[in-house]
Amino acid sequence: MLMIRQAWRNIFRNIRRTVLTCTLIASSLVVIILVDSIINSMAGLMVKGITETIEGEAQIYHSGFRDQFDPELYISDPKSIISKLDSDDEIKTYASRVIVPSMIGSSYNSDGVILYGVDAEKELNTSRLQSAVIEGDYLTGSDRELILGRLIAEKLEVGIGDRIVITSSEINTNQMIQELFRVSGIVQFGPKELDEGFAFINLSTAQRMFNIGEGVHQIAIRFNNPELANSPDLDIYKTLPSDTLEAKGWLALQPGLGAILEMTGLSTLIMGVMLFILASLGVVNSIFMSIYERTYELAVSKAIGTRPSGIASLVLLEGLFLALISCFFGIIITFILGIFLQENGLPLGHMEFSGVAFPDNLPVKLTLDQFVNFPFYVVLLTLVAAIYPAIFAARIIPAQAVQKAL
Amino acid sequence: MSNVIEIQNLTRKYGKGVAEVIAVNQLSLNIEYGEFTAIIGPSGSGKSTLLNLIGGLDNSDEGQILLAGNNLASMSGKKMSDFRRDHIGFIFQAYNLIPVLSAAENIEYIMLLQGISNAERSKRVEEMLHLVGLEGLGNRRPSELSGGQQQRVAVARAMASEPEIILADEPTANLDSKTGASLLDMMKGLNEEKEVTFVFSTHDEMIMKRAKRLIHLRDGSIERDESNTNA
Repeated sequence: MLMIRQAWRNIFRNIRRTVLTCTLIASSLVVIILVDSIINSMAGLMVKGITETIEGEAQIYHSGFRDQFDPELYISDPKSIISKLDSDDEIKTYASRVIVPSMIGSSYNSDGVILYGVDAEKELNTSRLQSAVIEGDYLTGSDRELILGRLIAEKLEVGIGDRIVITSSEINTNQMIQELFRVSGIVQFGPKELDEGFAFINLSTAQRMFNIGEGVHQIAIRFNNPELANSPDLDIYKTLPSDTLEAKGWLALQPGLGAILEMTGLSTLIMGVMLFILASLGVVNSIFMSIYERTYELAVSKAIGTRPSGIASLVLLEGLFLALISCFFGIIITFILGIFLQENGLPLGHMEFSGVAFPDNLPVKLTLDQFVNFPFYVVLLTLVAAIYPAIFAARIIPAQAVQKAL
Repeated sequence: MSNVIEIQNLTRKYGKGVAEVIAVNQLSLNIEYGEFTAIIGPSGSGKSTLLNLIGGLDNSDEGQILLAGNNLASMSGKKMSDFRRDHIGFIFQAYNLIPVLSAAENIEYIMLLQGISNAERSKRVEEMLHLVGLEGLGNRRPSELSGGQQQRVAVARAMASEPEIILADEPTANLDSKTGASLLDMMKGLNEEKEVTFVFSTHDEMIMKRAKRLIHLRDGSIERDESNTNA
């Protein structure tokens, strides 16, 4: 206890130095927690942006469809799959889709789009299609209605009620087909790629138009627990796939996103290591200054019988207290900043990355583990930084130190 | 009476070549239990070096020191620390109390190193404070005590571990004559009452007058070793 008291009081012998050192360590802690939160929030938004906009958290499709994007690779009889999905407790919702590249034309212009035939009711909980409608109405099930992305609508110079002609080819026979639609709604998802390249009609219309009976190209799935989406142990990943079917979570569907997430984790680690190395240098400097100032005192302690390990322990305890004080204030500052950023977001301006549009004010979410893990690392690294000065102090030779001090 | 300190052919050199200084030169000396001895001599005569060597704070180049029958040269760092803790008390010129600890805690510190129980420590701290006349001042930090009071705490700290020998390097050098005399009387009393061996390194006339034995050093060797019958 006496050594603990001594170490604690030693911390406050030079308050200015202690404040500066603690400020350095606490600042590093604040920065690393906030950077981690921002990166996590961006990563979370990217994942949500991709999984909630259209893709879903997992997909079932005909083998090869995603690689070749060949409309002929469709699931001709989705009923058995759908009954499995209906009976699976892990699955929150799903939506079947027909997906065919088509030409879209208006009186003024024409362009290529990915035409989605969607189940309007199922899409309500599976994608953001309904909430993305900025003009007109969502699909009602009527045969001639069509929803267009905002940018393609502008390109085609059409508005609500205007006529649109879809030109494509029947899937099985490759015969050219043309259908007339009227623009019933205009959507804006955010990413340019979606807003200028997608058009949506009703699923039954698409099935009839492409003459595929009840066939679908894709079943997008969302789970009650989205964390499960990439678990290879899920029943749908193990039981559904066959020679003709594939079922994959979003990480397998979007390997690029997985790489980005991995990179963000690595960048946080690199930044954290650099910050803590800088902070550690500050700690080493501060403790060395403290040791130099009381070399004679430490020498006397050693002379009267304190073992070298006792001297080293004292210095390490001082490092520990510096770290604990720094973490205490670092956590308070981070908490206050975190609450502000959670409520107001981080103003980044309009930003789009990897097909995901971020909101102007990025919502920053702090988690409990950040307030536990990072301070733990700070304490650990501060102690590691204090080892060298502690060994130095333990090696002070009393007679030499006494002579130098005198 | 047996010897608490036995020194044979002790030599300590500093520097090399032309810069070599022989601080202690082939010195032999015995000090018995309970002696009140002063090592005196001009500056540079080797007093402090000899005291450091006796206290195990420095290593000799030649010769050996037996302290309470233990050969200091055979002890490693950790064993040496423990030996100093249990057998030797130190009093330094500049008091050298730990400034962040109170007077009582400074006295308690060495007993804590010895692993003495909490209750026993508290009891002995009170005894020591009483012994050096500082009752009621145990909670004061060194900066709140006068020089004389700080040196009394240093004596109490040196006594707390119940050592066989106390080595005092110029203990009165920073004190006025009245305070120095009072401190010296106290140490003399402890020497007579507790039979603790005191070895001083000093220039102080007061200590020389009170010491029972005076060892005169010059150039690292004993010039004269005399009993002080007037002490």
